[in-house]
Order: sequence, then structure tokens, then C-alpha cells
Amino acid sequence: MLGERSAAPIHRIRGTTDVLPPDDARLRRLETGLRTGFERYGYVGIQTPIIEPLELFLRKSGDEIVARMYAFSHWNRRLCLRPELTASVMRAFVDELQGQSLPLRLHYAGPIFRYERPSRGRSRQFTTVGLELIGAAGAAADAEVLHLACAGLEAVGITRYKLLVGHLGAALQLLAQLGMTDHAQGLVLDNMEPVARGRVDPDAAAARIVELLGGVSGSANGTANGLPASLASLSDEQATAVAADILRRASLPVEGGARQPHDIIQRLLAKARRPDPTDQVRAAFDFIADVRAAAGPPERLERDLRPVLERRGLSTAPLQEVAAALDLLRVYAPLSSEVDIEVDLSLARGLRYYTGLVFEIYVEDADGPLQVCGGGRYDDLVRALGGREAVPACGFSYGLERLDLAIGDGHVASITPRVLVVGVTAADHATAVGIASDLRRLDRVSVEQDVRLRGVKSALRYADRAGVDLVVIVGERERDEDVVVVRDMRSRDEARVSRGELVERVREVLL
Amino acid sequence: VSVLRLALPSKGWEEDTLRFLGQCGLRVDRSNPRQYRAHMRGLPSGPAEVVFQRATDIFDEVSAGSVDLGITGYDIVAEHRSEEDNVLVVYGELGFRRCALVMAVPEGWVDVASVSDLAEVAVELRTAGRELRVATKYPNLARQFLYDRGMTYFSLVEVSGAIEAAPALETADIICDITSSGVTLRENRLKPIAGGVVVESQACLIGNRHELQSDPERLEATRGLLELMEAYLRSRQQVSVTANISGESAEDVARRVLASGSVVGLRGPTIARVFPQEPTDGEWFALTVVVGEDVLLRTVEALRRAGATDVSATQVRYVFGHRSWTFEALKRQLQRAPDEVEREKTTA
Repeated sequence: MLGERSAAPIHRIRGTTDVLPPDDARLRRLETGLRTGFERYGYVGIQTPIIEPLELFLRKSGDEIVARMYAFSHWNRRLCLRPELTASVMRAFVDELQGQSLPLRLHYAGPIFRYERPSRGRSRQFTTVGLELIGAAGAAADAEVLHLACAGLEAVGITRYKLLVGHLGAALQLLAQLGMTDHAQGLVLDNMEPVARGRVDPDAAAARIVELLGGVSGSANGTANGLPASLASLSDEQATAVAADILRRASLPVEGGARQPHDIIQRLLAKARRPDPTDQVRAAFDFIADVRAAAGPPERLERDLRPVLERRGLSTAPLQEVAAALDLLRVYAPLSSEVDIEVDLSLARGLRYYTGLVFEIYVEDADGPLQVCGGGRYDDLVRALGGREAVPACGFSYGLERLDLAIGDGHVASITPRVLVVGVTAADHATAVGIASDLRRLDRVSVEQDVRLRGVKSALRYADRAGVDLVVIVGERERDEDVVVVRDMRSRDEARVSRGELVERVREVLL
Repeated sequence: VSVLRLALPSKGWEEDTLRFLGQCGLRVDRSNPRQYRAHMRGLPSGPAEVVFQRATDIFDEVSAGSVDLGITGYDIVAEHRSEEDNVLVVYGELGFRRCALVMAVPEGWVDVASVSDLAEVAVELRTAGRELRVATKYPNLARQFLYDRGMTYFSLVEVSGAIEAAPALETADIICDITSSGVTLRENRLKPIAGGVVVESQACLIGNRHELQSDPERLEATRGLLELMEAYLRSRQQVSVTANISGESAEDVARRVLASGSVVGLRGPTIARVFPQEPTDGEWFALTVVVGEDVLLRTVEALRRAGATDVSATQVRYVFGHRSWTFEALKRQLQRAPDEVEREKTTA
């Protein structure tokens, strides 16, 4: 159909990777090693679909994730490629595992998808390997998860890293105390980390949030501007009646299809009575700046972070939880002296469902810090996903490709020796197949069969280029004598070996 | 010989586009007005092939490479472009068909004045088990706009026919659509909201990267086209002012004009001697400056103060720089790898 012209090549999508040999083997071994480690702590594997209903991530994953999703409509259903795995695992829990006795320990691995600008260690499809500990609240559970995150790293040879620990409890308390709406809280939380880390100018971020919340510039353009302020002092009922009357006289029809006039007027009044968001946002940003300034080694928890919370009348329970989890972490195993722990309450992780302790792990390499792990506690997610009752849970995941990058040259794939079995002519092929089958009884040797049947010379050329270690050759004469020729491609030595001794001989040479 | 192929928008866009090209000195000939193929004359490299298409289809034609260049709306380009397509914005602002893609809500939503109000309404509807439905023909831009403002609870509704009618028909709650004067919105009892402009748009020239890269002749023809467009667009706000002024010498006149605070044009005043028909006292000079329309009156007054009389002003038709910077920008875009090309439009 394409005629003489060769078809245009099709390239992989930007931000995705073809995992080629030998990277594939190395990554699979890394994944298996981590998950086998989790199983020694009682975790069992789970797999969930790569496509999910869009709704799953709209509920609690947060705007930052949602804006980066691959979402699409397929036959009128709104679907997406999963941008993370915790929500999927918890959906499966709510769907099918609520009857199980708790705590439930699950581990998983799989690709996730985020539409981000590709850069070093950041692809649009990458693999997470992680676990969730479902049904346990408190520092003991937090500590188990923290320990597993650290132990997994150490098991793959990463002993020098930075563990950053935070707690969402402090910021959530403050935002509630300030009386901010969910929408406003979300906007502040999304900006907390970028501002604290200096990636975003705090004044610009605050101004943008105030604007998005309708403060200052936003409210000046109201259709019924001026009306609300005068009504703010009346009771609800009076105000509603007066507002409806005024709007009618102004022949402004209060109607809007799906929205009832009552709702519209109620919201108009609620808006009028609400304080300008500027002060709230400023107070929230002051808090962020204060906790960031007090970030540092765990010793600062008591000395510097406590006053920041107490000054605002906030509970210091989050600090105690962090301290207790870190104390327990040291009980599991002494941390290497190269592990640097920092407590920073401005850590937000970019996911909206966290409610308690959160953490991230960074490995420093020549090109700067690389985040290889992140996790935390999310006690409200089960309810948000329709669970029968609130179930406390926590977990973490590694970015597999980033771990691989962080390990660097430290783990070169262990090489499986390779053997090629060649028949001299097509008539020798059946015998060659039999010989190859015999050789496969050896563990840890890969045995290839020549199937192109282009003769010994061509097969040897292939063996040389492809890095085959031994070539076993059989022709008519060898068949008659029940021997084979074994050629060592590394030394170029050739020897005639009887078939009965072949397996033993190959074992000696290669293993 | 390789001929430049250009797609022009038909239907409601045609008149404006042909007028614009005419002002650039380009003439589109077609044997009869119902034909959708034509030739465009006026390029130094010879006639170009023209095909008329709907503005919304032109992006696809350029992307597929069935034409080299096309004129369409920037809103359409912004909605349809993808990270790996072959389309370049060659000239971002052609100065006509100005409009904006905006969020508009029913007038009856007296509590909604800004995007933040909209976000709250979305949450309110959500709590009531409903979803804010946005009717639009620009799903990519609308979605990104709302996401960027922290809104995730909404659904986009595809509407066939008039978008503005969707809220009245209750197939959607609000709309995201193109408006230029706002009249259609008002007639449909809709109002724009503060901070609700998704993208400002006007006609723009787009091109197919691969076609332009691979064919020097068509690239050269494109340079000619850009020279003409740029010269016209740069001239639009420019006025050439000529006045008579008496003085002892050209230098004397120049000194007085410069001292008067007059705007002195792109480089400085041109002063030439006038040879009067009848004898006069002293010498007379003619002075010419090219200035922006916005400073015309200021210029005239300053010239009067300097002693000028007989001031005349004419609209400049073309202003040619020493080279076409839009063409230089195009060459830079062509040299870059496809995914490095900036997403921003090229602005004049």
C-alpha cells in the first residue's frame, strides 16, 4: 500500500523513554529488590489500572497534580492516566478491601504520568515503587514508614541522603483558624513550598492569591457593587429580602439556570460579610516565612518551632508527632552518620490529601539534589473516596528512574554469560536445538540458538559483535562422532568436546 | 519554480483579510468570487497560490503542509497547537480581527464579578452534587485557564451552534467564547467577569516549519511577504509632517526645531531649501519629519513655536527598516529544534 516510498518513522512522545537493554534488566532488578524488602515487613503486592476515572484525582490530589494530568474523554466518560498511585490504591481499598482486618500493608509499582517540562530526572512517564500502611494512626506507624523508606535506600546502596520531615497539621490548623475557605486554603497550600524554598516571590504569590480570591482588584467590578456593604449589618432574612427587592427594582434578574435566586443572594451577602482576604493571606504567608526560618535539625523543634506555633495559639501536637516518629526511627536502626535530617513545616509535597507527617528524601549528586522519595500521612482520604468510615493511613513511594540515577555507576548489571549454538548446515539444526536445550539446564547462563541458518562464518561474526562468550558448533562430522566444537570467543580457543561432557565443560568455563 | 502557497480565511474573514493584504500592496485575483483558489500578486518573487478556507481549518492545512503559510486567528492557533506540531507563528499581530476569548456568566449571577467568585460557585455547585458546565469551542484554553486559577470542578460542554445561547438553553451554566464588542454577550444576557480574559487575539500569519525549511525559494518569497506586511504595520501609526520655515540656514532651522522640543522623527528632521516664486526676506526651508500619530499635535505646535507655517501631514504608507526583523525571527525559529520553539507569539 505504501508503494516504493518507505514510511516515515514514528517517534516516541516527548518526555517518555524507551527503556533499552541493559537498562531494563537493571531497573527491573532494582524494583524487585525493593519490593522483596517490603515483603519482609509483611507488605503484600497490589496492582491497579493505569487508567482511572478523572474524578478519583479531582477529589483530593490537589490542583497542582490535576493541572498536569493526561485527561481525556472516551465515549463520554472522563478518564485519565494515573498521575500518582496512592489515590488508586486507596480507591481499590475502598472498593474491595474495606472488610479486611487492619492494618493492611500494601506495596506496589507501576508507571505514572504527569505533563511536566522534561528535564534531568523528570519524565512525563515514570515508575513509582511504594507502599501504603492502612489503618494505623500515630507515630509508631509513621516511624515504620519512615524506616522502610530509609532502609530501602540503604539496601540499594544509598547511604548518604537528606531526610526532610514536615507536618501538614500546623499549616492546616492555622488556615482554619484564619477562617479561610477550602478554595483559599488550597491556593495557599499550593504556594507554601514554592514560596518557602524561594522558587516564587512571596509578595507576588500573595498578591496573586488575593486577586484570585476577589480581594482588592477583583471585587471592584461587581454588578451589584456597593449593595452588599450596606446589607452586611442586617440579619440574614432581612438582608435577603432587601437585596432581592433592590435587585428587582433595578430590574436585574436574579436567575441563572442551575442556580436558584436564593443561592445567588445568599452568596452575595456571604461575600459582603467576608473580610478582605488580604489580611488572611498575609498572615498565612507570615506563618510560612516563620516556620521556614525555624527549619533545621530536629533539635530546633523545641527551641525554635514551638514558639512559632505557640505565639499563634496553635496546638503543638504536630511537633510532638514529628519528634516521636524521629525518635522511633532511630530505634529501628541507627541511621548512617551521612544521613542529614531536617525538620521543615513548610513542606507541602504538592498533594492536597496529606493531613499529618510528610517527608521527602533527597540525594545529592554532581548535578544537584535529586528527590528520590516522598510520602506522608493522609487520614481523610478514605472518607473523601467514599469509604464507610475514616481510616488513618500513611505511605511513601520512590521514583524508580531517579533512584537508578542516584545510585549511578554503583550498580552495574551483573552479566549473564552467553552461549550461541550453531549448526553448520540446515541439516544440523535439529541437533543444535537439542544441544541448546541440554545447556539451558545450567542456571545463570543464557543459551541462544542460531535461527538464521546462514552458516558458521556468519554466526561467528554475530557472536563476536554481540558479545557472546562461547559458541558451540555442530556439523555432519561432529554428529557422526557425537562431539561438538566449543569456541571461546574471548580467547579464540577451539576444542572438540564430547556431547556427554559438554554441559560440565561449559559450566567450568563460564561459571 | 517553487511557488509559495498561502491559505486565506474565507466567510466572515475574507473582506478584512483582503483589505489588509491590499494595504500591504498585495492583490488577490480570482476569476470569480465563488472559486476558492486564486493568485496573489505583488510579491517580488512572483505570484503566490492562494486557497480560501475556513479560519478554523487553516491551522490544520498549515500543520499538514498542504500550504506553506496561512492567515488565521491567534485564538485558533493557541487552541490547536501542540508541542510537536510543525506550525510556527510567523507574524503574531497583523492588527485586524481583534477579539478576546473570555469567560462570561449569566447577568443574573449578580454575586459573580470575578474569576474567584466563579471558583466559589463551582465549589458550591459541587457541594450540591452538580458541576459547573462551561460551553466552549476552545476546550484546551478553557481548561488550562481554569486549572491555572485553582479550579478543578467543572465540565466542558461541547455545543454545536451558538455558544452564547447555551446558558439560556440550560445546556451549560457559563460560556468561554470569543467576543470583540461584547454586543452578542449582552444580547444573550451574559456578562464578562473580572480577570476572565483567557487570551487576547487578532489575525496572525502562521507557517509550516518543514515546508519553509526545506525550500529556499518559498522561504525567500516569505521574506518578501514579511517585508511588505512589516513595512505596512510599522507605518500604520506613523505620519509624515512637512512644514515651511524661514531661517538663515538649514543649520539654523535645525537648531531652532530641535530646541522647540518637537519630535524629530525616526532619525531627525530632513531640511531642504525652498526656492520661492517671489522674492522674500531671508531663506525658506521645507522640513519633514515622520512621527507617531499620537504625538502629531504636539509636533505641530512645537513646529509653530519654531516659526513653521504651512504644516501638512500625510499618512505614511510603508516604513522599511534596514532589514525585516520578522524574517530574522522566523529564521531563528527555523534553526531551533521543534520543541524548543517558544510558545509565545511573535509580537511586532
